[in-house]
Amino acid sequence: MTTSAQFVDTRIEDYLHRLNTALAGVAPPQKDEIVREIRAHIVDTVAGSTDRDRAIGRVLGLLGTPEELAERYSTECLLTRAGNSFSPWLLLRTSWRWAKLGVKGTLAFLLALTGYGTALAFTVSVFLKPFVPGVGLWFGPHSFHVGVENPDEMRELLGQWFVPVVAVAAFLVAIGTTQALRWMIRRRSTTPVAPITQTNLSGPARV
Amino acid sequence: MVSNSNGDRGQHWEAQLRKGCLEMAILASLWQERLYGLEILRSLSEDSQLDVAEGTLYPILSRLKGEGLLQSEWVEADAGHPRKYYWLTALGRRRAREMAEVWNEFSGRLAALVEPVLGGKQR
Repeated sequence: MTTSAQFVDTRIEDYLHRLNTALAGVAPPQKDEIVREIRAHIVDTVAGSTDRDRAIGRVLGLLGTPEELAERYSTECLLTRAGNSFSPWLLLRTSWRWAKLGVKGTLAFLLALTGYGTALAFTVSVFLKPFVPGVGLWFGPHSFHVGVENPDEMRELLGQWFVPVVAVAAFLVAIGTTQALRWMIRRRSTTPVAPITQTNLSGPARV
Repeated sequence: MVSNSNGDRGQHWEAQLRKGCLEMAILASLWQERLYGLEILRSLSEDSQLDVAEGTLYPILSRLKGEGLLQSEWVEADAGHPRKYYWLTALGRRRAREMAEVWNEFSGRLAALVEPVLGGKQR
């Protein structure tokens, strides 16, 4: 009988060590489980082979580099968490990671940046208002914006209502951005988040 | 595998098509029994000629489990080391059935559409 203990190979151990290191962003219990499963897979695959050296090289090639594999796990893990989260920080981080993988991710990141950026700017202006009276919703012949302006050229529209109105607007923009991002992430393509490296592959197209 | 005259673009299209079916294929492979990763790979390859790289499969299994579609358990095996077996949860079975129904309807309609193409008929 072949046991995992007999399959101590420096290439396998090196691969698993690098995978463990590359999975730094994954929670420890899940990380240990990933490494354990990949080890079991390598051992199972190599056990049935007559040419062990070649089998090890092939299975490691099909797994991709440890860093690529870890990236796939981390992104899948992050996208799953973000789809169930209301944390703007997590959604922003996730959309940034997703943006590296395609057009939909890029759109999500731009939405996150614009939406949360606007909400942040509104919030800052609400807190600034008591200290900087010039902050307001300004309207003039060439401009319409929240900020500080010269009262001689432009008219402030909200007056004493500025703080409550802009605070509510900031809240609604943040909530709207969060819900839109959650929707995009949940409806993302269910295909693999990154293509597998085609090295060491032969025969029909692999996915 | 169908050879095609468009080279890389044809291969890219076929790879995208296969990727799009992957989640449904993984769920379907677990419809009747519990399997571990290598068995899922073999099942996909033998039953549907869907050759999936290991580096693609395992992160997807991890995600499907995270989404509550799969459950898993380590089981001691004759091989001398435990294997992680996966099975469908009730939610996973429901998702698999929904995907299979959509696929069945979609592929049936497309089959009718491409039939003249394969038969060489012209208008």
